Amino acid sequence: MPTREIAIALTDVDKRFGGLRAVKNVSLEVRAGERVSMIGTNGAGKSTLFNLIAGVFPVSAGSVSMFGSVVTKQNTAKRARNGLARTFQTSRLFEQLTAEENVFIALGGRGLGWRSLFPARSIERKWNRVAELLTTVGLSSESGRRVADLSHGEQRQLELAMALAADPKILMLDEPAAGFSPAERQQLVKMLTTLPSEITLLLIEHDMDIALQVADRVIVMHDGSKILEGTPDEIRASQVVRDIYLGGGHA
Amino acid sequence: MSSSKQTSAHSGTWKRWVTTQNVVVAVVIVLGVIFPLVVDRPRFWLPNIGVRTLWMGTIAMSLVFLNKYVGLLSLAQMTFAGICSYGIGYFSVTMGLPIIPSIILSLGVGSLAGYITALIAVRTKAIYFMMITLALSQVFYSWASQAIEVTNARRGIAPIPRPNLGFIDLNDITTFYYFALFLAVLSYVIFRYTAKSQFGLAIQGIKDSPERMSALGYNVNRYRTAALTLAAFVASIGGVILVFDRNQVDPSFVSLDSTLNILVVAVVGGIGSLGGVFIGGLVFALLQNFAQDFTDRYMTLTGLVFIGVLLFFPAGLVGLGPIIRRLFSKRAKTSASKASSDTPTVERRAGTHNKKGQHK
Ligand SMILES: Nc1ncnc2c1ncn2[C@@H]1O[C@H](COP(=O)(O)OP(=O)(O)OP(=O)(O)O)[C@@H](O)[C@H]1O
Ligand SMILES: [Mg+2]
Repeated sequence: MPTREIAIALTDVDKRFGGLRAVKNVSLEVRAGERVSMIGTNGAGKSTLFNLIAGVFPVSAGSVSMFGSVVTKQNTAKRARNGLARTFQTSRLFEQLTAEENVFIALGGRGLGWRSLFPARSIERKWNRVAELLTTVGLSSESGRRVADLSHGEQRQLELAMALAADPKILMLDEPAAGFSPAERQQLVKMLTTLPSEITLLLIEHDMDIALQVADRVIVMHDGSKILEGTPDEIRASQVVRDIYLGGGHA
Repeated sequence: MSSSKQTSAHSGTWKRWVTTQNVVVAVVIVLGVIFPLVVDRPRFWLPNIGVRTLWMGTIAMSLVFLNKYVGLLSLAQMTFAGICSYGIGYFSVTMGLPIIPSIILSLGVGSLAGYITALIAVRTKAIYFMMITLALSQVFYSWASQAIEVTNARRGIAPIPRPNLGFIDLNDITTFYYFALFLAVLSYVIFRYTAKSQFGLAIQGIKDSPERMSALGYNVNRYRTAALTLAAFVASIGGVILVFDRNQVDPSFVSLDSTLNILVVAVVGGIGSLGGVFIGGLVFALLQNFAQDFTDRYMTLTGLVFIGVLLFFPAGLVGLGPIIRRLFSKRAKTSASKASSDTPTVERRAGTHNKKGQHK
C-alpha cells in the first residue's frame, strides 16, 4: 500500500463563505485504495471539504489534485468523469423518477452523442447493471417505485447505488448511514468493507463505530482545521478527540 | 407450444402501448382528422379555429416541454417561431429562393436562435432565465420593427404565398389544414420520443437536481442547451404553419402580446402536459373568434379565463380529465353502496385537489 499513487491531494486549502472561514489551511493526501474516515462535530467543515474535492465550488486558496494532476480549476462534471463519485449529505435524487431510472441515469451516457437519443428502455445491458446495483445496496424490491415515495433510509441506499454506478476510482460518502436502522448500518459496513480494494474511499460519518471499523486512517476536523490524523486505534485513544466530542456537544 | 408463448409475448408488447395517455392521444388525433368533415363552414373553421389551434399549440408545446422536462420557463418560443417565419419570408420572397430550401434554412435559423439564446441564458435559473428570454424576445421585436433591409420594418414581408409542392397544393384550405395537423403531430411525436430517450431521462434528472447530475459527470449546461435548441426547432415548425396561415410576416408575430398569448395557451391547456396545449389553443382560438361577437373586450375575457383556469384548475384544462373520471367513479361507487356517508368523499376530493396544486 505505501507505494501506491496519491489519489487525492489537498495543499493549503482555504474556503471562505463571505466572512465565514469554513475550511482553514487544510492539507491532506489520500493514497489510491486507502480507506479514510473523516470525523468532527457539526459545522467542522467536513462537507465543505468534500465539496471542494468534488469541485462543487472553487477553493478560496490552495490547490486540489487527483491522481497527480492539478484539478483546482476543473468543474464537477470533469472530475466525475475522471473517476470521482460522491453522495450528498442530504439526498439529491430525481424525485419524479423511479429508483431504477435514477440508477440508470447514474450509469450515464456521460457524453452527449447520438447514442443518447436511443430509447432508454432498449438498452438491456444497462438495465441489468441497474438491477445488480440495486441488489448490492438492498433496494431490489423497490426498483419500480418513485423516489418521492421511498423512505428516508431507502433514499440513502439509492444515493449509494448511484455513487457506485459510475465504477468510481474515488468514492466519497457524506454520512451514508444517517437515518439507517441498526440492520441497515451493518449491511452498509459489510458493503464498504467488501468494496474492491482499488477503490479509494473517503467517508464522513458521525457514527463512530462505522467510521472506525471501515477506516485505515481517520482525519479529525474541528472548526475548519484538520487537527488530528491517525489510525483508528490512535483515534480511539486520543484525549483530543474525547475533549472535542465532550466539549462540542452533539457528535 | 412455442407458438402460444409467442402470442403471449406479442400481446404483451401490444398491451404496453394501450395506456390511458395513448388512447387519449389517438382519440384527439382522430378528432383532428375528421374535423374538416364535420364542421358546417370549413372556410371559416379550418383557418380560424383549426390551423390557428395547431400553430399556437405547437409553439406552446415547445414551452411546455421545456417547463415539464427541463424546468425552464422560456418566453422566447414565440420569437423562435417568428424568426422561422421571417426566415421563410426573407429567403423565399426577398431572396427568391425555392420554397423547400427556404423552409429548411428557416428551421435551421430558428433552431440556431434557440442555441444562441441557450448560450446566453442557460447558466441562469428559474426566474432569471424567464426574464432573459423575455428580454431577448423584446430585443428581437424592436430589431424586427426597424431593420428595413431584412424584415421590411413595421410593414413586414408580404405576400408570402402558400406553396404548391406539386404533390400537395397548400392553397387548398383542407390540404393546408392536414399539412398543419401533420406537423403538429410530428412535433408531439418528437417530444414524446425525446422524453423516453436516454437524453430525455438525463434532462429530467437535471430538472430535479442539477448538482447531482454534475456530480455524475453530466455537463448540465450542454444538455440544457441541446434541449432548448430542440424546443426552438419545434417552435420553428409552428412558425412554418403560422407564416403560411397569415401569408405574411410582420413584427406583431413576435410582439409581447403574441408571446403572452402562447403562455396563456400553455397554462390554459395545462403546463404539465404536452398534448394539453391543443385544448388551450382551441379555447384561445374560439375566444378570439367568438368573444368579439358579444364583447369588444375579448382580451379582458381571455384574461379572465386565464385567471379562472389558474385558480380552479392549476393543472390546466387537461387536469379536468382526472376530475371528471373521479366524479364518474364516485357516482358508480355511491350507487353501489349508498350506506357510505358524504363527509369522507368531500375530504378526499379536497385532498386530491391540493395535490394537483402542488404539481403546479
Ligand atoms: N454553501 C455555503 N454557504 C455558506 N456557508 C456554508 C456553506 N456550506 C457550508 N457553510 C458553512 O460552513 C461551515 C462548515 O459546514 P459543513 O457543512 O462543511 O460542516 P460539516 O462538518 O459537514 O457539519 P455536519 O456534521 O453538520 O454536516 C458551517 O458553518 C456552514 O454553515
Ligand atoms: Mg456535513
